[in-house]
Amino acid sequence: MKKLLAVLLTIFTYLAAFIYFFPLLWMFITGFKNEGEAVIMPPSLFFHPTLDNYKIVWGSGIGAFLGNSAIIVVISTLLALILGVSAAYALSMFRMKKADDILFWFISTKMLPAVGVIIPVYIIFKKLGLLDSHLALILLYTAMNIPLAVWMMRSFFKDIPYELIESTQVDGATGLQGFFKVTLPLVKPGVISTGLLCFVFAWNEFLFGVSLTYTNSSTMPVFMASFMTQEGLFWGKMSAVATTAVLPSVILGWFTQKQLVQGLTMGAVKG
Amino acid sequence: MKSIGLKSAPPLKRLLWPSIILVALVTQIPFILTIYYSFLDWNLMRPDKGAKFVWFANFKAIFMGSEFYTVLGNTFILTACTLLLCLVFGLCLALLMNRDFLGKGLLRTIFVAPFFVMPAVAGIVWKTAILNPNFGITAYFAGVFGQDAVDWLGSYPLQTIIALVSWQWIPFFMLIILAGLQSVPKDAMEACMIDGASTFQRFIYVVIPHLLRYIEVAVLLGLLFIMQTFGEIYVTTSGGPGYASTNLPFYVYRVGFKGWDIGGASAIGVVIVIITLILLKYLFKFLRRTFRGELS
Repeated sequence: MKKLLAVLLTIFTYLAAFIYFFPLLWMFITGFKNEGEAVIMPPSLFFHPTLDNYKIVWGSGIGAFLGNSAIIVVISTLLALILGVSAAYALSMFRMKKADDILFWFISTKMLPAVGVIIPVYIIFKKLGLLDSHLALILLYTAMNIPLAVWMMRSFFKDIPYELIESTQVDGATGLQGFFKVTLPLVKPGVISTGLLCFVFAWNEFLFGVSLTYTNSSTMPVFMASFMTQEGLFWGKMSAVATTAVLPSVILGWFTQKQLVQGLTMGAVKG
Repeated sequence: MKSIGLKSAPPLKRLLWPSIILVALVTQIPFILTIYYSFLDWNLMRPDKGAKFVWFANFKAIFMGSEFYTVLGNTFILTACTLLLCLVFGLCLALLMNRDFLGKGLLRTIFVAPFFVMPAVAGIVWKTAILNPNFGITAYFAGVFGQDAVDWLGSYPLQTIIALVSWQWIPFFMLIILAGLQSVPKDAMEACMIDGASTFQRFIYVVIPHLLRYIEVAVLLGLLFIMQTFGEIYVTTSGGPGYASTNLPFYVYRVGFKGWDIGGASAIGVVIVIITLILLKYLFKFLRRTFRGELS
């Protein structure tokens, strides 16, 4: 009886997962249908998969937007990592009177709504001639991800036993050598998942992207939105674009699963 | 824990400055400008008028207008209902996933996926493939059961957006609650079993109290992020019909980037930040209690 219940619960879980994932699955499948089949009623389950949508979409210049996203997101993620890791190292390894206050200040900037600054940010970038530039979004996404990087890395640095750090000091290594030879390798998994999460958040960011770019440096989410207004009736092509847009962040996101909870709760919960 | 060689501290402290300066430059300075702009009568569509200092006229206009209260109500309903749905379904999924069965890792991966999908795409996929009243899956099933297809986003815009945002955030709640379930102290459970408590009693007296801290984290963080919902609304309803599905962040966008009313949009921005600050105070109180001194 108990075994039967367990099997039923497992089947139910599988069913729930299927329903939950269905919108994404359907998007993925529709990308391989030709336009006629994409909107046919009842929906066709059996069809000749075709790569036509992807060919058309790639021919129509999606590459430029993917490139914008890649440049902006990769550079801002690297910058956020370099700045965030060093700040977290200083905060967690060296006792400072104001360490908590600094940490809470960082997190408050992450929590405050972006719409609270979007208007002046727009005006400032307009005056500097940086509207629709890569630099504008790189700066914003770096600043957006630094607090996350600081908090995540802080909780990883905390896990390192103090004696290890001390031993590097005894060997006469300078702080910097000790950091690169001993500390950094120890937190490597943490650095990687911090970087991946920063990537995902920057890749998906929409408000700054849609308000500050027009054509030259639009990212994938912005292209997605304008594609829908212009060619929203072509579901096959739209699904192909959508699949291309979400694939990087979903796949990289999956790799962060282990540290995801710790990262998103700023170390308040260990996953 | 001792501090490490005070002599080496000063140069390393400098490592903090680049981060602090950049974050302050991008988040704090502009906010001061937001406050300043909120006192200006400044519309970018009317460059001839320029910017004029008008004290609290923008705030007065916002608080006198009826849209603001609709928008405030929408924000509250959207946030509260989404949080509730996330909590209930997150808990259910976490309980389902807290068992041992074949393919557990795979299912966890599948459940988490919507969380990583960009809001713009999540909105578009739901709007077209799932909810479209002519060609969407829901329309098909309505037909199978002999019902009329419903134009979900037209008739129930706010409710539909709640469902959509919940779909994205339930995994976040599931993961945190699952982490809680997996860290229930074993000895307490065993003590309970020896005392002859039923599964249900154990759940009420041991698991739930332990979970409360995790639920608190999830709700507080979820609250702050879900309040900022923007992309889903932009691509599905654009805040319409009328103001029926506009929340506070989207209201700023409408006033600022559709109406080009810099003063008005800034004033709404100031109001949002004040509301957020009040909520943040509770989050910080909670976080300080959680970390209690182990931060520095």
